[in-house]
Amino acid sequence: MLIFSRYTWWVATMIGLAMLFAVVGQTGLLTPFQGIFLRVTSPVGSVFTTVFRPVAAFLSDAGNLNDLQDENARLRLDNEGLRNRVTSLQQGAEQVEELQKALGVTQNVASGTKLAASVVHRDSSPFTDVISIDRGSSDGIKPGMVVLSSQGSLLGTVTTVTSSAAFVRLVTDTKSKVASQILESKVEGITKGSPNRGVSFDLADSQAAINVGDTVVTSGLGGKYPQGLPIGRVSEVSGSSQDLSKKVTVEPLVRLSTARTVLVLTSFTPQRIGLDSP
Amino acid sequence: MKGLGVALLVVLTALAQVSVAPLFPVWAAVPDYALVLLVVLTVFAGPTTVMVALPLMAVCVGFASDRSPGLLLLAYLPLLPLALYLENSQMPLNSYAQMALAGVATGAWARLILALGAIAGGADPSFGAIAGQLVIPGLFLDFALLTLVYAPFRLLGWSGRGMSLQRSRW
Repeated sequence: MLIFSRYTWWVATMIGLAMLFAVVGQTGLLTPFQGIFLRVTSPVGSVFTTVFRPVAAFLSDAGNLNDLQDENARLRLDNEGLRNRVTSLQQGAEQVEELQKALGVTQNVASGTKLAASVVHRDSSPFTDVISIDRGSSDGIKPGMVVLSSQGSLLGTVTTVTSSAAFVRLVTDTKSKVASQILESKVEGITKGSPNRGVSFDLADSQAAINVGDTVVTSGLGGKYPQGLPIGRVSEVSGSSQDLSKKVTVEPLVRLSTARTVLVLTSFTPQRIGLDSP
Repeated sequence: MKGLGVALLVVLTALAQVSVAPLFPVWAAVPDYALVLLVVLTVFAGPTTVMVALPLMAVCVGFASDRSPGLLLLAYLPLLPLALYLENSQMPLNSYAQMALAGVATGAWARLILALGAIAGGADPSFGAIAGQLVIPGLFLDFALLTLVYAPFRLLGWSGRGMSLQRSRW
């Protein structure tokens, strides 16, 4: 105990304070103080983000010039492929009907009431990926609400709400688990955040056929998310059909690091069924 | 007045931690500005300042990032006892080495504690990722940042203060 000879009282006080924070935090008593803190400091945080984001983007782009060129070439190919696909879809009535059904799902989701919000902060580490937005309970935001990108892809869910701000756990957070399915094959599974801000897809049926490029959407099972929200595309499948489990890596459709404006789906009420209910 | 200045510095650093640091990741590790400020305060402002600044930093970062302030408090807690131990030890370390060792060790502890906190909160346990993507890159990042920040102070001729508390006051 030589180390703590003159710090014993302070260390003990801090440990006690940490325990007090843990207990008080569970009861929600800190939330009003957190709300005041966020209300006062959010302008400063916005200034920081506004000033440093272009610098970070420049450095990132400069460091990834080859990757960007590759991505540009790939997007050109994708664009050409998509144009061809649109043409073929226009020619086949059955394919058009299928497309209309798919659009019907999307339109149902899109017709819901959404509230636009700006991203204020992002707390990101290999295990955590949380953003804070400038809308809170005074705007009708509630915990559990689904958050989308400006293009309608799933970003995450609201976890904590203060009067003027809210925290959103992104799909890349390691605590995030979304009941989902492969759009093309209807294979069910769970989309999970993985360390280092990645996304993986755990198959319910390990023998199911998954292909690179398949689209992952929410399945609606569990009632936490509406059905049919796009999440990402399968970017890698490792493991053969003989393996007990396949590792499926998903690339989110939206580049989460650059999202500035998000949409909160205020019309959808998550149902806490499954593990949360008997 | 000095206390107010330190408090303001702590709040601004906490905001930078959640709004600026994630924009500049090195591999998977995010710079820990909060730790760097606490180390600088430990060396140049003395332990009594850090005794107040550390819990304030934990609360500010916790509020701004929706993490548990208690967990953050435990994460940065070893800094002062470690700095005192290194100062009193017989190890042949100069002030820079003491500062770097205390900072880097506290940074590794902090990243480990926060990762374990995330796992306890429901994240998948991936100890390979903790070591390979979090703690080890963090060691190098903390060391580089601390050196970058410490060097100008030393070039300006500022000398570090001792870790021992004054008995008359404490």
